[in-house]
Amino acid sequence: MKIPPFKEINAPDKLGYWTNKKTGETYGGQYISPLLIPNLKKVETGFKKAMKNKKFLADLEEQLVNHIGIVTPILRSKELEEIAGGEKKIGKIFLKRTDLHHDSSHKPVSAFSSVFFAKHILKAKKIITETGASMNARAVASACAKLNLSCEVHIGALDAEKVSLNKDITELYGADIKVCHDSTKSLLPAMAAALRSWQGDPTAMYVVGSVCGPHPYPLMVRTFASIIGRIAKKQMKDLIGKSPSTVFAVCGGGSNLSAISYPFYNEKSVDIFGIESAGKGIASGAHAATITSKAPIGILLGARSNVLMDADGQVDPSETEASGLDFSGTGPEICYMASTGRIKFRATTDKEAQETFLIMCKKTGILPAIEACYVIHAAIKEIKRRKNPKENHLIHLCGSGESNVGRMLKYKRNNE
Amino acid sequence: MNKTFEKIFAKAKSENRSCFVAFVTGMDPDYESSKQILIELSKYCDCIEVGVSFNTSTSDSSIIMGANDRAIKSGAKTEKIFKLIKQVKKNIESDTAFVTMGYLNQIHVYGIDRYINDCKKSGVDGCIVVDSNNEAPEDDKIFKGLTNNNMAFIKLIAPTNDSNYIKQSLKKSLSWLYIVSYAGVTGSKKVNINNVKKLTKLIRKQSKIPIGVGFGIKNYNDVKNVSKLADLVVCGSSIVEKIKEGNKKGLTNQNLAQFVGKYVRRLSEGVKN
Repeated sequence: MKIPPFKEINAPDKLGYWTNKKTGETYGGQYISPLLIPNLKKVETGFKKAMKNKKFLADLEEQLVNHIGIVTPILRSKELEEIAGGEKKIGKIFLKRTDLHHDSSHKPVSAFSSVFFAKHILKAKKIITETGASMNARAVASACAKLNLSCEVHIGALDAEKVSLNKDITELYGADIKVCHDSTKSLLPAMAAALRSWQGDPTAMYVVGSVCGPHPYPLMVRTFASIIGRIAKKQMKDLIGKSPSTVFAVCGGGSNLSAISYPFYNEKSVDIFGIESAGKGIASGAHAATITSKAPIGILLGARSNVLMDADGQVDPSETEASGLDFSGTGPEICYMASTGRIKFRATTDKEAQETFLIMCKKTGILPAIEACYVIHAAIKEIKRRKNPKENHLIHLCGSGESNVGRMLKYKRNNE
Repeated sequence: MNKTFEKIFAKAKSENRSCFVAFVTGMDPDYESSKQILIELSKYCDCIEVGVSFNTSTSDSSIIMGANDRAIKSGAKTEKIFKLIKQVKKNIESDTAFVTMGYLNQIHVYGIDRYINDCKKSGVDGCIVVDSNNEAPEDDKIFKGLTNNNMAFIKLIAPTNDSNYIKQSLKKSLSWLYIVSYAGVTGSKKVNINNVKKLTKLIRKQSKIPIGVGFGIKNYNDVKNVSKLADLVVCGSSIVEKIKEGNKKGLTNQNLAQFVGKYVRRLSEGVKN
């Protein structure tokens, strides 16, 4: 398959800000200690160079196709159509099977691209990264193993306990895993720890697992990840002759939402939905729904974006069953897109996602990542509400659920 | 230049020494103890940096992060840090300058104008904002606000910063400039004298601004060595560790202040030799 080339359609300004012209609010930027400014400038210059380097882009694409297996199928799910009320009432539902990637999630795309960039453009010898569900760690560690770079992974102590399979695989790939006991012991302090480590080692490159962090990371990660959406858009055209009516993706930091929806930003006929984790319910306060809960703008980990925090600016811990969504902020470009209303947001509770997980296993024969179940639940709800037989719906099945098996089996047995 | 810093620099010059600067996290381990510590330290310090805790800081070592956690647990809030500094200033006789040190998120949430007003009302002499990039719009606003109210904006410079970044920082530095001695987080390595030599030489070629040096200055000898090159010598992590040590021993208020004070007094003598 000939993959459509990347086209910039939503560029930030030169300081890395996306500005909502109606409200004047800015998202992004580069808020970081002066110690890291030279590192960031190096990444910024290197990234610009890489995007103009045809050989680099062609070599990267070849690796993404043959090593990551980026051209995953789009599966029409008659089972989900039935659950939503049948094709005659709601139209067709398609699943983008990103769960079939090497290392079983969308993460290997931006992770491999970033590590490939670090090796060939920046000539870095070491990669520093952080992880929540360890999907990113696993993906980065795998890329480092293949490209012969050393890999240092920071993980929150609570996440390290929660998702042992991915962490074990990360260790097998040869990464040096540093467990972070700071603050909430989850993804956020792990990200801060990774940044601090990079501050002490300017010869390394920091790889962000999501579309977050200081400029140019949000731009770079979504640019690399958007190959998923470019392929999906072409596949939908081949399947139905046009773009879908809706695109649904789950949103923690926002990388898999960016990945699939970016190429559709300018297509007004496509409704884009980002689905957050409502945890135990938005009203309970125990959730990870930054946008849905209308979290205020803060300056978190180097960028202006919506942040779950208290009145004094201390970042509140997010709470969700899905480690991959357990993040107190959302990437700046996504926050900007939410502010303009281009991406609409919904939230699914942990309980609803867990029930969807069991339905997916039993009715579709697919083992989805728990993260993907938040989006499937919300998508079915929205599709039922729209009740339009002419519509075609695209859902991003962003990962496979091997690492959720233990907890989900326990959940199933406790609820039977 | 801010008036308090003018006085401090004149005094140090007349005594033929550098200035000694201590960093402590405000309200570590609690409000009252922190107040006593600051009062005690003011006897030995020309300037005290008071840390405004942020639970997601990106440049602090686990030592400072631990202090932040202790302070937040004891109820540290931006407003209370201003109250703390105001009370301390009322209770001291020295001309010690007080500087807040923190991250932009706290200031953004508090409101930049309100933060600057409260700095002024509390007798704060200057601010360090670790993650305020020279190019950020907020940085310009803070610089203007502080300058219009005769307070110092103290910019950080790292050994890895290029000449353009240094030039931008110099433009906003009207009282003194803070050099970070190595690439790393606070207190994680030993002070790098070679970096300090190179950077001070480079800056002194372009400006007469007093230069402070921090990161990795952990004992009397470090203070002594750095004071030969710098106008201000900053100690942080080792003092914060001393607070933790005293606190673990069960010391509070005056007792803790004296325990920490004894240590800081010895450190501060490094600038006099």
